Amino acid sequence: MRRAWRKALPYYPLLPLGAVVAMVWANTASESYFRAAHALAFPVNDIGVAFGLASLAQEVLEATGPDGSMPSWRSVLLPVIGAVGGTIGAAATYSTYIRFTDEQILAQGWRIACGVDVFFCVALARLIFRRRSAVSVVVLMAVVSDIIALVIVSRRPFAVTADPAAAGLIVLAVAVSSVFYRSGIHSMWPYLLTAGPMAWAGCYWSGLHPALALLPIVPFFPRAPRPLDDLRVDRHEHTRFAHFEAVFAYPLQAVAFLFGLANAGVLLRGADTGTWAVLTASLVGRPVGILVTGLIGEALGVVPTRFIRWPDLIVIALIASVGLGFALFLSTTVFPDGPLLAETKLGAIATLGGAAVAFGAARILRVGRFARTADV
Amino acid sequence: MRRLALVVVAGAALVRFGLVAQERSFLPNRAGSLKFAAIGDNGTGDQPQYDVAGQMDQWHGRFAFDMVIMLGDNLYGSQRPTDFVQKFERPCKPLLDAGVKFYSSLGTHDKASNDTYQLFNMNGERYYSYVRNDVRFVVLDSNYLDPKQLAWLEGTLRDGKERWKIAYFYHPLYSDGGRHGSEVELRVKLEPLFVKYGVNVVYSGHDHIYERLVPQKGITYFVAGASGELRRGDLRPSSAMAAGFDQDRSFMLNEIVDDDLFFRVISRTGATVDGGVIHRQETP
Repeated sequence: MRRAWRKALPYYPLLPLGAVVAMVWANTASESYFRAAHALAFPVNDIGVAFGLASLAQEVLEATGPDGSMPSWRSVLLPVIGAVGGTIGAAATYSTYIRFTDEQILAQGWRIACGVDVFFCVALARLIFRRRSAVSVVVLMAVVSDIIALVIVSRRPFAVTADPAAAGLIVLAVAVSSVFYRSGIHSMWPYLLTAGPMAWAGCYWSGLHPALALLPIVPFFPRAPRPLDDLRVDRHEHTRFAHFEAVFAYPLQAVAFLFGLANAGVLLRGADTGTWAVLTASLVGRPVGILVTGLIGEALGVVPTRFIRWPDLIVIALIASVGLGFALFLSTTVFPDGPLLAETKLGAIATLGGAAVAFGAARILRVGRFARTADV
Repeated sequence: MRRLALVVVAGAALVRFGLVAQERSFLPNRAGSLKFAAIGDNGTGDQPQYDVAGQMDQWHGRFAFDMVIMLGDNLYGSQRPTDFVQKFERPCKPLLDAGVKFYSSLGTHDKASNDTYQLFNMNGERYYSYVRNDVRFVVLDSNYLDPKQLAWLEGTLRDGKERWKIAYFYHPLYSDGGRHGSEVELRVKLEPLFVKYGVNVVYSGHDHIYERLVPQKGITYFVAGASGELRRGDLRPSSAMAAGFDQDRSFMLNEIVDDDLFFRVISRTGATVDGGVIHRQETP
């Protein structure tokens, strides 16, 4: 049991649990749920998620740093252009859907369709594929997609005020982190306790989403190399108290649970245009975008095909259709509480269906665990 | 016994299909009173919308309302200048020519830029407030109920010293419509403010039916989203429903006399499907 829990830990298993609790609560005692969710929204979405994104950034930086396990630039090209193509495909599909349904009020929701749930997708990829190269492609594609999405939504359209002077606080936070780094400080605590609050306050008052606050200072945190497809923190130097991922591994589980609880509670009868737009964009637009850019890359000769075969890429593209947690987060940055947020959230949750589609495709195409011969 | 059963069945059928309103009403039609109509989900450009507008024009001849509140989805489909003509100006021409003013709120099918369309009297604001006689109307954009709008709403309601406070916006806080129903998440945010600052009546659209709710925490809620679109048979009556009509298009006529708001709901064919009077509750 303990072993299974430790294995599941990197994939935030409490997020879906929080989501299930939220769904049941919202559909049985909706008023009390929404009161609780509104009370949780700020501490979870604006503070807790900042630690979640910092953890993700730390993992990516450790894998892509000088001593990381990043493969050659040519093999990286496929997931990167796939992420770009998937984002364009999802955004274009969403916008087209909204255009045909004439609900222009939902037009800016295309940003939601840009999100990919990294942790869920990695877990899914591990279940389907046995090869690390395929899992690495999924991780990188999901991370790059989410970086694009974060850039897109970094400015909140409904921010109360916008104070450009507050940007100075963010710059100061980066400068302080830089000084710590040059001074050879090898614990993340000074960074977190001094630069962290400055960056958060700067984001909050300048109208940037505060959940992004730790991202500018994460590059200065102490790091240890790791493989790109290995999210476990209970190994080697990652266990040291000075390391962000070691200290926050368990607190982040609580954040994940509360995130699911605060954001996933939607009324099932609330399915509407926004739901279907997000779902279509994620399940159709993103995979098509990934495959089209894969085709273009292959035609131009920049994408090596010896690492990933076309059946693999089809399954990878379908795995990347699951937006879930990250799409939920993006939806809270695009729409304020209300019916538009509720219907797009429902779409984000429904992208879980992509997992079943990916499994089905893997079975039909005999990919990964469904391959006739050992696929190692 | 059989006769009694027949009467009960017939009565239930009439209530189900909205043919009998709980309180048959009259409108005092008093000189100097505030008279206004309410329409929602009207902008289809199809014949039923024209029929409703025709009924409104007929009623205007004997009940001279000088304003119409629009509850959203004022235009469906494309929204080019010709659409504003076909889906609003042409059906409403007699009323517009008679000087009736339309005050619009935005629905999900309305373009945000429609707030600059002159005949909607929104003056480029997606949420706004105005006063007629001793009545403060508060018009919200329920699509984007952001913190800024909530702060504005609280300030507007707190500072409003008028005898009546009426709010209208697209999404209903209470509704027995089967397609959408109550917007509970909005309710959690708006209702405490409405109760605290003494809002008397709330009008919404979205569900393509007509419904009057039993007063909730002292506030009367109307759903009037069938002035162009209609979802026939969509009412799922709950204990909160006071009256409803889902068999044809409809619009509302309202008149405020002192502490009473009289209302009458007219179908596309001119039948009265609901009516009554709401006595203003005490301001907290």
